[in-house]
Amino acid sequence: MKKIALNILLAVSLCTPDSLHADENLFGFVYGAETLPAGHTDVYQFMTLRTGKDAGGYYGWDFETEVEYGFTDRFQGSISIENRYIRNKNVPGLDDTSHFTFGGVAATGKYRILSPFKDGIGLALRLEGGFVYHDEVDGLLEHDVYIAPTVILQKNFLDDTLVAELNLGTEWAWGKDPAEQYYKEFAAQGGFGISYRFARNWSAGVETHFRAEWPMFNLFHNFEHVVVYAGPTVHYAGKKWWATLNYDYQVYGTGVDEISAHQTFAEETRHVFRLKVGFNF
Amino acid sequence: MKANVFLLTPAALLGSAVAGHGVNYMNVAQAQQAIFPGKAMTAAEVKLTSEQRKEIERQGGIRQRSDTVKAWRVAGGGWFIVDEVLGKHEFITFAVGISADGSVHGIEIMEYLETYGDEVRNAKWRAQFTGKTKSAPLQLDKDIRNISGATLSSRHITDGVRRLLAIHDVALKSR
Repeated sequence: MKKIALNILLAVSLCTPDSLHADENLFGFVYGAETLPAGHTDVYQFMTLRTGKDAGGYYGWDFETEVEYGFTDRFQGSISIENRYIRNKNVPGLDDTSHFTFGGVAATGKYRILSPFKDGIGLALRLEGGFVYHDEVDGLLEHDVYIAPTVILQKNFLDDTLVAELNLGTEWAWGKDPAEQYYKEFAAQGGFGISYRFARNWSAGVETHFRAEWPMFNLFHNFEHVVVYAGPTVHYAGKKWWATLNYDYQVYGTGVDEISAHQTFAEETRHVFRLKVGFNF
Repeated sequence: MKANVFLLTPAALLGSAVAGHGVNYMNVAQAQQAIFPGKAMTAAEVKLTSEQRKEIERQGGIRQRSDTVKAWRVAGGGWFIVDEVLGKHEFITFAVGISADGSVHGIEIMEYLETYGDEVRNAKWRAQFTGKTKSAPLQLDKDIRNISGATLSSRHITDGVRRLLAIHDVALKSR
């Protein structure tokens, strides 16, 4: 863990000179309706720490690298690769472990229908598809192929300094076994965030996001769990790079066969920290 | 050792991206000569009253952030104003020349620090403002063409020109 902390410190320290300048992802989990201008490229690095089960020590790190390209001023596409580090000890239902795994790959397209800057409200459609090779709970093998369509709404206020974003979507996944009990799963997911640009280059806000899962696509008789997270986010953007730091607390959760009445831990954690860094080209 | 491989990837990316200053295209004297070539100008101290700010916001349709106007009186009639509008992350500094008849004589982008959208410096796009008066709509997709991929900058500069025409009407033309 010391090595991990050291490397994160190194990564962050390299981006501190005040000569740098940038673009945006205001929130950790909620997406905006804007798209990259045609011919431009962004490279992102996400680092997510999921920690805090009902007992034991659990640390799930996700490291995602994504390259995004603006094909037109309205359509952008990206590809990403994800790796994980899972460490848990004395967590009920999980074997003790400390290992790296290859998480998977994904491709995403986003098409902007309305611009938040000139149409009064921003509207975009996002479609993500991917392959998950090891699950994010304890890094177990699976062969999960998924698609996740999302509708994105964005409304700006106060000369575009106050930004509100709403996401509503679903996820359809096949091949969750053997990591999970069931072969396929449906999820409803989304989020809402509001952020204010309080100083040149700096924004701060809050976001909430939720996810509910139904194995075997059975929405009537096979509910698995629902979880709601909420927390603050701070964002810095310069000319060539931006960074977003986000913390989310599980404010509500419930799952089948779980002891806790108000939080769910089978696939979720109490705390989620996310650092996103993006570079514009 | 694996931890280093995974986590040094972002470190390397961060290191490689250490670059990028904003661009200062012209200073005040250069902008003055670009809009009113050969004209002498006199700096004018313009402080807006709260009533003037309210009227400017009513006419301009957007917030008047400052009560100070950086203005120069042009010999033979007209005004030269330097102002700022919000870019996505930084302020965009621009200058507008207003003729004695209250119409836009020309605009120049003096400083642009944003990652994208510097197409607003395009001479043809800026030429759309020439001749506009305070009675013009000055709105994207109406009388001002939007630049796809630079929508925020296009809109904020368009709003800014409309606001400066309101400032001219409220606080400058009668001086």
